[in-house]
Amino acid sequence: MIINNKYLLILFFILQLIIYPQTDWVRWEKSDPTYQLKNSFIEREYDLSIESVSDIIVKPIINAYWFFVSDVDGANCPFQPSCSGFLVQSIRETNPVQGILMFFDRFTRDTNIFGRQDHYPKFDSRHYYDPISLYTLSETKIKFIPANRIVNKE
Amino acid sequence: MNIFNFKKIASLKRMLFFFMGIFLQIVSISSTSLCQQINFHSPQNIKSFADFLFCDKDYLRAIYEYEKYLSFIDDDTIQFKIAISYSSINDQIDAVEKFKTIKITSPLYEESKIELLKSLYLLNVNSQYFTYADEIIESKSRYSINAEKIKNTSRLLLNHELPDKQIFLFPFDENEKKTLSNFYDRKTNPSYKSGIIAGILSTIIPGAGKIYTKDYSDGITAFLLTGLFTYLAYTNFEHNHSERAWIFTAAGVGFYTGNIYGSIASAQIFNAKINFEFDEGVKLFLQEKNYFTPVYDFCK
Repeated sequence: MIINNKYLLILFFILQLIIYPQTDWVRWEKSDPTYQLKNSFIEREYDLSIESVSDIIVKPIINAYWFFVSDVDGANCPFQPSCSGFLVQSIRETNPVQGILMFFDRFTRDTNIFGRQDHYPKFDSRHYYDPISLYTLSETKIKFIPANRIVNKE
Repeated sequence: MNIFNFKKIASLKRMLFFFMGIFLQIVSISSTSLCQQINFHSPQNIKSFADFLFCDKDYLRAIYEYEKYLSFIDDDTIQFKIAISYSSINDQIDAVEKFKTIKITSPLYEESKIELLKSLYLLNVNSQYFTYADEIIESKSRYSINAEKIKNTSRLLLNHELPDKQIFLFPFDENEKKTLSNFYDRKTNPSYKSGIIAGILSTIIPGAGKIYTKDYSDGITAFLLTGLFTYLAYTNFEHNHSERAWIFTAAGVGFYTGNIYGSIASAQIFNAKINFEFDEGVKLFLQEKNYFTPVYDFCK
């Protein structure tokens, strides 16, 4: 049987096209992408160690809130640190009474949805930066950051 | 019929290739010999290249080339340019070191002193900086007035007491005086908010303290939240739902006291913002005035 050269060339061309994608797996190898949003900013300190009297009350409540509510419902607090994290840190930095007052003030600001972009610097695309150091009433600790800045580290 | 004389065309082709070959050989030989004659690493060429880089604001590479040039020829202007390059890339430590090497006999000595003062300012406004500024002012040099200007402006960034306004504004010209007078007034009478007043206002009317510190929406939110929980507590007590009523009372008290606390904190943050904006304004002013240093025509 005589094979036409033209058809033979076309056949080679098609064959190499088929073979090439088969061998190109290194570049296009199978991957398992995940589309889950990373909550890298949340560093839950699940901790029940008692360092002060207030820890007996506050820590179980906060840990239970994180475990049963926050982690299930998702991180919806617009601030960094989140309100619960703010409470834990503020009590640690000051004292239980002052920490709770700071928390109520933070919660009031959290409830207010207006004018956040003109008031707080951005932490990432979804969170505003609102550190504890601004609210301890110690003027030396206040490091003012204007609203248009992006703060990507603590 | 044969239109073309193929033999003639072939001989013409051969001739063409022959002459093209000769031409290419001449070009290659001449370019090679020309290259041999130019010394790209001669001091003059290094300097020309460095000048080009300097004017192109490629300061890091300009420094490298100028240093190479200095290994051949000692030149104060080049040392000055290296120092300016370091200063331009904000490497003030090296800039200070380089400005210090400019000899007193150099025509750029006085310029180097005022540039050194600028570098010291950008490094840190400290006692060494002020001592050096005083040195230039007392030397009665061409740039003493510039040194006085940069010194007086930078004093605004410190929390030390300022001199009398007339004395403070003395070295500046009329246009600068307007801006500096404004800065002086803002420094001596800052529009701070009192934390005590904010706290008292929030004690009387929840949220009023935050409105006083210009956190309007936070103030209104605090008022609404406190009002809501007070109302809920009141109605629950009225209808004998004491458990719920106490929970709402606790929340209401929490929001009320938290708001008083937050108003004091808000006043402190407001004051920090005032200080921050003032400092930024002064720094920007100095930057716009190029720190009262002269403009050089190295790139004309």
